[in-house]
Amino acid sequence: MTNRPRYAPLSPFAQARAHLLLCDGAAIPDDAFAPGHGLTDFPERWTVAGHALVMPQPFGAPSEQRFRSASHLLALLRHRLAAETMGLRIYAVGSEPFVWDVAKIAREAGMGREEMRLFACGAPERRVACVHCRTVNPGVTTTLVTCAGCGAVLTVRDHFSRVHNTWMGVQCDAEAPGEVPPVEDLCA
Amino acid sequence: MMDNHTLTLVVADAALIAPGLRRVHLRAADGARLPPAAPGAHITLSLPGADGARPLRNSYTLVSADPEHGYELIVRRADRSRGGSRHIHEALAPGDVIDATVPHNLFALHSQAKKHLLIGGGIGITPLLAFVARLRETGAPFELHQIASADEIGVFAALLAPRAGEQVHIHGGRTSLDLPALLAAQPLGTHVYTCGPAGLMDHVEAAAAGLGWPSSHVHREDFGAAGGEPFVLRLAASDIEIAVAGDQTMLEAIEAAGIDTPSLCRGGACGVCILPVRQGEPEHRDHFLSEAERAQGCHVMPCVSRSRSALLVLDI
Amino acid sequence: MATRFKPDETFRDDFRYGNSETAILRFPFPFGEDAYMYGVNMEPHTRPGSAGVFAVGFDVDEHYVAECAERAKVLALEPGRCLVLPHMREAEWDTLELIMESLAADYPDQFTLERDGLDWTWTNRPLGIHHTFRFGDATTLPHPPFEYIVRQAQGDFTLQDQRDGTLYIDGGVATVPADWSLAFDVGMTFHEWHGPVPLAHQAGVFDRALQYLMRVRYGHPARRLNWTMTINPRLDTSPENYPLWGPDRASLTAETIGDRLFLRVELQSFFRLPRSNALLFGIRTYLASLNELTRVPKWGRRLHRVMRDLHPDIAEYKGLTRYRELLVAYLAQFDDGAPTAPGITPDCAALSD
Repeated sequence: MTNRPRYAPLSPFAQARAHLLLCDGAAIPDDAFAPGHGLTDFPERWTVAGHALVMPQPFGAPSEQRFRSASHLLALLRHRLAAETMGLRIYAVGSEPFVWDVAKIAREAGMGREEMRLFACGAPERRVACVHCRTVNPGVTTTLVTCAGCGAVLTVRDHFSRVHNTWMGVQCDAEAPGEVPPVEDLCA
Repeated sequence: MMDNHTLTLVVADAALIAPGLRRVHLRAADGARLPPAAPGAHITLSLPGADGARPLRNSYTLVSADPEHGYELIVRRADRSRGGSRHIHEALAPGDVIDATVPHNLFALHSQAKKHLLIGGGIGITPLLAFVARLRETGAPFELHQIASADEIGVFAALLAPRAGEQVHIHGGRTSLDLPALLAAQPLGTHVYTCGPAGLMDHVEAAAAGLGWPSSHVHREDFGAAGGEPFVLRLAASDIEIAVAGDQTMLEAIEAAGIDTPSLCRGGACGVCILPVRQGEPEHRDHFLSEAERAQGCHVMPCVSRSRSALLVLDI
Repeated sequence: MATRFKPDETFRDDFRYGNSETAILRFPFPFGEDAYMYGVNMEPHTRPGSAGVFAVGFDVDEHYVAECAERAKVLALEPGRCLVLPHMREAEWDTLELIMESLAADYPDQFTLERDGLDWTWTNRPLGIHHTFRFGDATTLPHPPFEYIVRQAQGDFTLQDQRDGTLYIDGGVATVPADWSLAFDVGMTFHEWHGPVPLAHQAGVFDRALQYLMRVRYGHPARRLNWTMTINPRLDTSPENYPLWGPDRASLTAETIGDRLFLRVELQSFFRLPRSNALLFGIRTYLASLNELTRVPKWGRRLHRVMRDLHPDIAEYKGLTRYRELLVAYLAQFDDGAPTAPGITPDCAALSD
């Protein structure tokens, strides 16, 4: 057992007034949805387009909305939730840092864990917080990472903060300097 | 105060504030400080029973709790009183000494709520009065809707007068409050708290669920339904049979038979009094056991639950 | 209470620390039998008839003055070791009241609390503190209320908010942590912050512990013991400073292990707070070296057996792996194979040399 988030394929909540699905890329793998479910189960979908020409309507417009970037989507999500009423459920699919960014905005809007479902997919990627110097190292795809702040070689503990959206990184050779285990890719 | 299990209280004041409603102020009998309490907390009083012999234990919400100025309760005289509220209304007088538990809270304000929606029915206003006092203090957004029968609107208006404001509304009868519209209009992050007749609280729960409110945002106070059909309880390990009267709880019947069994909230919420069932069909009235645990029928909370079968056999 | 404080003790650099005979005999030895496995070892705290460290809400011992100085030093270096989320303000005052009431009641010669309405006067003689402040008004105290009072108690504390059917760690002070980070863990649920602990989750220990804790009532505190080991009497074994203390683990020898390896016991206590309905965890740390503990024959025998048979996953989690062989070999001399009596109490009234 570890404190590692687990993800279940998405299906809409049974009793809800409205559903909003947020994705950080156009392509959503089939295994992001529970058997018998798919995109069309989610009446409103927000997606990151990755270019600056799109002009989304975050309030009220139905179905598909495209955003310039993940940051753009998250900023408008904050405004949207501030204007929402009870009964909304949100769903996030994409990289682990993205889905927990969505969760953080939802939590700050007063939503509980039972009002959102998350599914992390794609190549594993983590934000690793160096517990020694507080630097957050984004985009970590390996089991070890050299901290950009203090230079320590960090091993990533199986300990994830849903509040900070970071994994805990701890110097791997503190007890015996130079004793560094082999670096491996994170597996899904 | 830390290790005290029981408080010895003295009645400082007891006044009829409306027909059937009595306000009681309690202080520590020895003049010491009383434990503070969170809004929503209740205490359980030991009151003389109707027959003058076996004491009854009734839980009452604290309308206010101040370590130095004492506790305030408002007690409605129950139509089918087992003796508790009747005693408070007919016999209780300043100077009387009452044993009580330390305050316990099973109906707490949610720390993450963006807004608190309070819906009371009748005497269910008591915890909401404590909530309003706290919410006014902290400045948290809230709205109170109190439902009163037509002849009691004035009573509740008077009770709420010191706390009046644009967030406080009194409705004459349940039909005069459009509950679905009220719930549908609430901003994301609202928590609803309801206290009053079981029918009202069920209605709030059902309406909220129907509008997509998650159950974690819906809170109700409930000390359990009192009374029902009489039945027979057999305690297998102690090898005794006890008749549970219609106006008596299983827990009270067990205690009256001289069997010592742990209990706490006596309202079906805390889980302390849980007992194993060997035979018979419990009628679960608690909020502690999960649906799955109820379906198994292996345990029962004797403080509020009863029996569907004429005989219930417990493994104690 | 004739406790003689030892203000010159240190928990870093030159490590001037030791336990008197009295302190050894009242040490909360955590092993009630010759083997160790995780379990729901919760029980009522401060029950009438309890003795020693179990008799009072917040134990004050001979290390009090020096430990408060060490913890003040940690907070001066890293103020973020004390952290309380804004929705726990009420719980801060609850904590202040609980600790002041307890200390004043349990150690009337050392601590006094006088109350006149909301105007309170607090006297802490060992630390030379005398303050009049207004309860509920944080501007009348030199630190926020939680930090103010936990600086005057031994051990660390955390504040749990109870909601959504679990406990959230929404505040605390972590100056003497056994390798856990408050800054990282803040806001986690009970199961999340215990996630890294091996074996116990599978056994359902945390599920049952959580159910128990959520039912802890005001006036009915509970407690449990937990343990690990630390090289040198170092209180601040935080993950933040792991690069500073990690190398100690590779530094033990057969000659030094008896004096330099310490059994680190946490007396964890759980208090319901009345105004906030929050739950306060006390994490009171006791340190005793192997050479101090093995002066109690029963503890020497038992330590050897527990360490020899410890599950490797637990040894790894507690950081013992690197020196465990050395430890077991050293302890073997104290184990003559004689049976040990159940329970944690010493089998002697005075110590052998």
